[in-house]
Amino acid sequence: MVERRLVSGNYAAAYGALRARVQFVAAYPITPQTFIVEHISEFVNDGIMDAEFMRVESEHSAISATVSAEATGARSFTATASQGLALMHEILAIPAPLRLPIVMPVVNRTVAAPIGIWAEYNDVMPQRDLGWMMMFVEDNQEVFDMIIQGYRIAEDKRVLLPFMPNLDAFILSHTYEPVEFPDQEDIDDFLPPYKAEHAHLWPDDPMAIGVFTPPEYIQEFRYQTEQAMQAAKKVIKEVNDEFAKKFGRDYHGLIEEFMTDDAEAVLITLGTVTSTARKVVMDMRKEGKKVGLVKLRFLRPFPKDELRKIAEKVDAIGVYDKSISYSAGGPAFVEVRNALYGMEKPVIGYLAGLGGRDVRYSDVRLMFEKTLEAAKSGKAEKELVWIGTRGVQP
Amino acid sequence: MYEVRFHGRGGQGAVMAAQALADAAFIEGNYAVAFPFFGAERRGAPVLAFARVDKGKIYEKTQVYEPDYVVVLDDKLPQLVDVTKGLKEGGMAIINTPLKPEEVELGKEVKTATVDATSVALEVLGTPITNSAILGAFAKATGVVSIESIEKGIMDIFGARLGEKLAEKNARAARVAYERTQVGTCKGTLKYPEEKKWLPTVQEFPTGGALGLEVKTDAGLVGLGSFVENKTGSWRTFMPVVDNSKCANCKLCWFYCPEGAIEMLMNMPENEGKNIKGIVIDYDYCKGCGICANECPTKAITMER
Repeated sequence: MVERRLVSGNYAAAYGALRARVQFVAAYPITPQTFIVEHISEFVNDGIMDAEFMRVESEHSAISATVSAEATGARSFTATASQGLALMHEILAIPAPLRLPIVMPVVNRTVAAPIGIWAEYNDVMPQRDLGWMMMFVEDNQEVFDMIIQGYRIAEDKRVLLPFMPNLDAFILSHTYEPVEFPDQEDIDDFLPPYKAEHAHLWPDDPMAIGVFTPPEYIQEFRYQTEQAMQAAKKVIKEVNDEFAKKFGRDYHGLIEEFMTDDAEAVLITLGTVTSTARKVVMDMRKEGKKVGLVKLRFLRPFPKDELRKIAEKVDAIGVYDKSISYSAGGPAFVEVRNALYGMEKPVIGYLAGLGGRDVRYSDVRLMFEKTLEAAKSGKAEKELVWIGTRGVQP
Repeated sequence: MYEVRFHGRGGQGAVMAAQALADAAFIEGNYAVAFPFFGAERRGAPVLAFARVDKGKIYEKTQVYEPDYVVVLDDKLPQLVDVTKGLKEGGMAIINTPLKPEEVELGKEVKTATVDATSVALEVLGTPITNSAILGAFAKATGVVSIESIEKGIMDIFGARLGEKLAEKNARAARVAYERTQVGTCKGTLKYPEEKKWLPTVQEFPTGGALGLEVKTDAGLVGLGSFVENKTGSWRTFMPVVDNSKCANCKLCWFYCPEGAIEMLMNMPENEGKNIKGIVIDYDYCKGCGICANECPTKAITMER
């Protein structure tokens, strides 16, 4: 029976691991992620989750243990945030070329300095180039669903890459909202057990994985990993569509368009700002303003073709970022503009909510209005707009 | 949609109260969201939590600035914080206080519900944690959620964290508070000094955020030593009272006080050379944690409400 409960984003992630029948969990606490592994420790202790639960001494060890466990063919899971993710950086580069389909939710939290615990994407953005599929969720339902879908996508033989769903610190991790949990039988049907074929550390059938590799071979590794990431685009859409048919929730794949038909200006958003932006779009549409929203669900693989299609039909594009790459702009902005190379449409980057500052309705509305102005005039007054920064004109 | 802002102190359970309210509304078939705002909290510091309830899906992922209801878990908070700030026209304040609504002073004259949640909590739970009791008052005063659903919400949320037995007690506290809640209108006589917060522009911002000793700003001191202006004495529910005739000068209270709010008489300059026993407690900063009374081997310190 489908059950509906009011739960936190952290619980949704933990329960997703339980329902995905995860077999190995490495646990190391860090605010605001701690509750994920804490809930899992309770599930294991209560006997409702059949997994090896390993307490480790750092995040570096957590991801090392998870990579190793996945290499034995066990469906493996860990979770982290902020400084913990930064500490993992060295090992994060390992699972993609070795084609180990780990799922690891990251609760996005600012990276020091200055030290803080609130939402910012400067923890995850520096990890973009390591071969992980990276996506950003909007609500707690999507947290749960993307753990389930995440394993299905990652374990697909055409992909075999690690998967990282990102959820905003506190705005999701500590927020309680209704989440629907499907029947276990239906989940099992959707997500069959993982069978490692290409790589397995089994004593009775030994194998060498991740050995010292000279230049004659590494470039092929890279090309193969790139091919897998490209293939993931199709698999993500297929898995989304099958999930939608089976469970009734359609996330539309790499991106979701919201009221973009006949839109003059669109805003591209990541994470929970998307949800507030939906409300802004609905209100502005009532006022006759032709605005639309594009939820950039996946940053890796990057939906270049999909974004170019949208850019063709609109007059200006705004991109929201919750972190900055100093002197270059927000990472999502930089990537979107790169994808739209040669299209001669104004693209504006917006920065707001850094360090966890509340991104208010009026902030999001300002992004739409400025993008709409650029749509009318055909040019962006400014390339990068800081919203809500004291002493700085937006 | 209605929006609720909870004012409490770290440790009083404002966050769980918001969750239990949202759960209760969810049980009644609504969409509901509950979320905290965590500052750099410690037990006793003022905290905020929020809830939103609507018939359909709620999209706003922002804090609540114009609540329909404010819920105050600590009776001393309205003296420090303008709890009615942003309260919608026709909104209501639900306050933990032994006073009648007409005797309550807030920043605005608004519909007010009162209940002595601290006494209810002490009676039913044996501890002054008022988050469950105040929800009973919320149900009675607003009518937007039934007391039965509140009890279920408490069983769900408190049960998951504290176990069924404690959850049952908390549900009972809500019910007792529900019966004792009074509704009326408060006095809008409380005046708040203009809220001062140091919010420098980029141009004024110290390079690298580096701050020296007691940097003076229009909003008061910031940087090292600025805590002298943050008088935490109002955080107390219980107050340590000392009988210096029993003091053995063992210094345990002085050593363990997390606030440095205890001074040994023998260390004071005016007592130099004297054979004197005893302590002085600085009630401007004492948060009433009770560690001193707990540590005192001669029972010279007692906690009084």
